[in-house]
Amino acid sequence: MNDNREAFLNAIAEKSGRPRHQLQDHPFQPLNDLPETTLAGKSPAELLALAKQNSEAVHVTFLTSAQADLPAALSAYLANQQPKTLLLPTDERLAQYGLSDWVKQVTPTPQYWVPGASREDNLNAAATADVAIGCADMLLAESGTITVATTPGQGRAFHFLPTHYLALVPASRIVPRSRQAMDYYDAELKAGRLTTSNINFITGPSNSGDIEMVLVVGVHGPLDMTYLVVTDA
Amino acid sequence: MKVVIFSTCVVDLVFPNVGKAMVEVLERFGCDTELPSRQICCSQITNNSGYVRESQKVMRNEVDSLLSIDADYIVGPAGSCVNMLKEYVVRLRDDPVYLEKAKVLAAKTYEFSQFLYYVLGVSNAGAELDATATYHRSCHMTRLLGERHSPYALLARVKGLKLLPLPNLENCCGFGGMFSMKEPEISKQMVDEKVDSVLATNAQVLISCDPACLMNIGGRFNRRGEKITIMHLAEVLNHNVDMSRVTYVKDDPLTLAEWPHDAGMTAELIKEA
Amino acid sequence: MAIAYSDKPFKVRLAESEQDTFMQKAVAKAQDAQWTKRTASRNELGHWEQWRELGQQIRQHVVRYLPDYLEEFADNAEKRGAHVYFARTDKEAAAYIRELAERKHVQHVVKSKSMVTTEIDLDQELLKIPGLSLLETDLAEFILQEDDWDEPTHIVFPTLHKNRDQIHEIFAKIGYKGDNDPQHMARFAREYLRASFLKADMGITGCNFAVADTGMVNLVTNEGNGDLTMAIPPTQVVVMGMERLVPSLKEAEVLDNMLARSAVGQKLTSYCSFSSVAATGESDGPTEYHIVIVDNGRMNALGGPFEEVLQCIRCGACLNVCPVYRHIGGHGYGSIYPGPIGAVLSPVLRGYKQFGDLPFASSLCGACTETCPVKIPLHSLLIKHREVMMNELHMDTGLNKVTYKALGLATGTPAIFHMGISVDHSMTALLSHHQEPTAQNYFMGDGIMSKLPFILGGWTVIRDMPRPPRAKDNFRSWFKQHKQLQEAGR
Repeated sequence: MNDNREAFLNAIAEKSGRPRHQLQDHPFQPLNDLPETTLAGKSPAELLALAKQNSEAVHVTFLTSAQADLPAALSAYLANQQPKTLLLPTDERLAQYGLSDWVKQVTPTPQYWVPGASREDNLNAAATADVAIGCADMLLAESGTITVATTPGQGRAFHFLPTHYLALVPASRIVPRSRQAMDYYDAELKAGRLTTSNINFITGPSNSGDIEMVLVVGVHGPLDMTYLVVTDA
Repeated sequence: MKVVIFSTCVVDLVFPNVGKAMVEVLERFGCDTELPSRQICCSQITNNSGYVRESQKVMRNEVDSLLSIDADYIVGPAGSCVNMLKEYVVRLRDDPVYLEKAKVLAAKTYEFSQFLYYVLGVSNAGAELDATATYHRSCHMTRLLGERHSPYALLARVKGLKLLPLPNLENCCGFGGMFSMKEPEISKQMVDEKVDSVLATNAQVLISCDPACLMNIGGRFNRRGEKITIMHLAEVLNHNVDMSRVTYVKDDPLTLAEWPHDAGMTAELIKEA
Repeated sequence: MAIAYSDKPFKVRLAESEQDTFMQKAVAKAQDAQWTKRTASRNELGHWEQWRELGQQIRQHVVRYLPDYLEEFADNAEKRGAHVYFARTDKEAAAYIRELAERKHVQHVVKSKSMVTTEIDLDQELLKIPGLSLLETDLAEFILQEDDWDEPTHIVFPTLHKNRDQIHEIFAKIGYKGDNDPQHMARFAREYLRASFLKADMGITGCNFAVADTGMVNLVTNEGNGDLTMAIPPTQVVVMGMERLVPSLKEAEVLDNMLARSAVGQKLTSYCSFSSVAATGESDGPTEYHIVIVDNGRMNALGGPFEEVLQCIRCGACLNVCPVYRHIGGHGYGSIYPGPIGAVLSPVLRGYKQFGDLPFASSLCGACTETCPVKIPLHSLLIKHREVMMNELHMDTGLNKVTYKALGLATGTPAIFHMGISVDHSMTALLSHHQEPTAQNYFMGDGIMSKLPFILGGWTVIRDMPRPPRAKDNFRSWFKQHKQLQEAGR
C-alpha cells in the first residue's frame, strides 16, 4: 500500500462531506432487472438464429457444423484462406471437438500457442500466423460477440495478432446477452475456478471510422472473422 | 370555464397578434379569459443568464399575479415559458409558501396547443389556411415540457394546409434567450442552418408554438432578405374558421392511433420535488 | 496537451471555427449519421429510459461511495500484483509514469487512446526521456500525433475535422505511397503500427471502468489497439480518472452496453476487455502493471452542485446532439473536453478564469440532457455554472451587470414593466426603419429595428427585430378593449 492512498481517500471523504467505509451497509442493489430480462426466454433455435443475424451484421462469416463434420468444415475454411501459417491453441477443447486427428494431418502444419513458452515465441507465432483457429467460451446472440478468457494455452494476443481468425464455439454456449456471460465469469472468478488475468468480448473484426467516418474493417486486429458454431456440442 | 392568459413578455412586447389569436381561439371554444395585469415574465431571460437570485422576485411576482384570479386553468402561447412556470416547483422550493403556490400553478398551467388538444379535446379547430407550411418544434416545448404531438395533431386537420417535414427538426434555432445576444457568432450559424432548413422545404409559412423562436428565425429571414410568413399556431388555428369543421378528440378516429405525449424532463423534476 | 490546449480568446477560436467549413460539414454529417445509428440501437435494446435510470443509479452509487470503491479496487488490483498510485495532480501522475519509464529503461512506448493521458499531458512528459519513442496507436490519435500533435476535436472521433486528403498528406510524410482511400490508409497504419507494437516495452492505456470487486480494468476499443497494448509490452500503465469505478463486472457490462450504443450506435464495441496483471502460466500480458488514479481537479466536483458531472462515461453522445458543437466543433471550446460535457467539466477541473466562457456558449436546448445515458442534467449544470459566476463570484462587470440587474428589476416589478410597454412609440423611432420586409406577419409595430444599442446589439448584428407596437396596439390594450366590447355586447 502506498502512503498517498490514505490521504487521497480521506480528501475525497472530506470534500464530499461523506465519511468513508459506508459501503458495506449500502451495497449496490440494481433498481431493475433489464440486463437479465432483455431477450430472456428464447429457445436454442431462436438464439442460434439471432446470433447468426447479429454476427453477420458485424461483418462476421457465420458457419455451423455438426461435430462429425467439423474436420471437413475447417479444411474447407483453410482451403479458402490458403494460409501459409496456422496458429492453434493448446486447449483440450480441440480434442473434445474430435479434432485430435485432424490437427495432426492438417496443412499447413500448425504452430501452437504453447504454455510455458517465452513471451517472444508465442507472440511471434501469433504475429506471423495467417490464420488462427481459437476456442471461444461463449457466443452472445444479441450482439454477435464471442467471449474468451485468457489461458496459458491461448494467450491474449492469440486473438488479435493473426490476420484471419476463426472461433469455434459450441451451440450449447450461445447465450442471449453479455449479462449471462458476465454472470458466468463473475461466478467462476469468485469461486476460484477461473484464474485468468483477462477476459475478452470480441464482436467481429477490428474496425475504425476515424477517416471521414468511413467504416474500415480490419485495423489492428484480424482483418476478418469467422464464427463456427458446433451445433451438437 | 375560466382561463387566465399567461401573456409572456415577448407577446406583450412585440407579438400582440399571437396573444389576440390565442384569446379568440380559446373563447371560441367556450373559455372565459382573464389577463392579470401584474404578470410580466417567466424570468428565464435573467435566471438562465446566471442571475438566479435576482430572478426569484420575478418568479414570485408571476406566481402571485397569475394566481390572483381564481381560474380553472392558466394558458400561455409559448412552450418554453410555460415550462418555466412549471419549473418554479423546483426553483422556488426553498420557500415553503411559494413552493405550495408553485405547485398549484404548475398543476393548472398549460401550453396553448396542449390545452386545446388535451383539455378542451379539440382536434379540428375549424381553421383553413391555403398554404404550404413547416413546423419548428421548439427545444423546451419538446424536451422539457415533453410535448411532441399536439401541435402536429392540430395542424394536420387545418383545411388547405400542407405541412412539410422540416429537416433536422431536432436542432435548436439558436435563440436561447440572452445566448442570442451574448454569442451572436454561434447563434448566427445555428439560425442560418434553421433558415436554410426551412427554405429547403419550400414552405410559404413557418409555424411554431414558441414566439421567441419565431422572433429569432423571422428576424434572420428578414436580415437575409428571404421570403417567409411567420405564424404562431394560434394564428393558424384562428384563420378562416368555420365551426362546422370542428371535431373533437373523442370523436376523431385519427387521434386514437396517434402517439401519446411523453412526460418530459420537467415532469420528472416535479415528481422528484 | 493538457486540458486547455489553446490560449486564444474564446471569440478568436469561434472566428477560426467559423472559417473551417470542412469541419462544420463533417461534424454535421457525423451528427446526422450518429443520430440515426444511436437512436436505432437504443430502440432495438428497448426500455431505454429504464436503462438510463439503471446507468444513472450505478454511477451515482459509485460517486457516493467513491473512497470505499477506490479502496476495494486498489486492494484487489494489488492482490493481482498491480501497483496502484494515487495522483492529486496532472504533474504528479505524469512524473510517476516518466520515472517508471526511466527506471525500466523503456525505449518504445505504445499508447491506446485515452482522454486522461491527454489531460495530464503524458506524451510530452515521456518524450523528455532521451531516445524514447512513443506512438499513439488509435488510428485517429496516430494521425493527430503525426500531424505534429494536432488538437483533437471530439472525445470519440478525434479527427473529425480532417479530410482524407489531409490525412493522405500526413501519411505521405512517413512513407505512405498509396492513394487517399481510407481502407488503404488504414492498412498502412496497421503495418506501420504493428512493427511498433512488436518492439514495445511499455504500453499505456486509459480505463473505461475499473472493477472494484475483481481488481480488473475494463477497456473498450473498436480497432483492437487497446488489446495489443495490453498483450504485448511486459510493462503496462493504466491511467484513470478517480471516478471511473464500477462495483462489479455486472455493472461494467451494463455500462459497456450503454456506452457502445450511445457513442457509436453499436451493441458492443468490437473489443471489450477486462484485464489485469498476467497470471501464472500466461506468457503474454503485462508482468509489471501500474494503475495511476488521477484527481486533477475532479475533487472540485465533490459535495457540490456539479457532482453529477462525475457520472460521465465519456460516450460523447452529448457532443453528437449539440447544435453549438455542430457549428464550432471541438476546437471552438479550447478544451480537450468539448461539447456540453466539456462546457460543464472543464470549468470544474480548471476554473472559470480559463473556461468561464464555455457555460455561456449554449442555447440550453437540452438535447445533451435528453441523450445522456447516465442522466447528467447537463443543461441545468450549465445554468448552475452561470449562477456561480454571476451570483457567487460576481464575475460580471460594468454595463452587462447593470443591464441584467435592471432587467431583473423591470421584469420583477409590474409598475416599471408597464411603464416600459406604454412608453411613447416614438422612443423607438430613431432605431427603426420602414424598408419592405421579406418576413411577413412578423413586424407588428410599424417598423424594423436593425441596429440596437448595448447588449441588444448582439441581436441586431445578425437579425432584425420587430419594433414594439404603439401602446394602444399592444396585447394588453387590445385585451382591455376586447373585454370592454364583450361587456358592451352583453
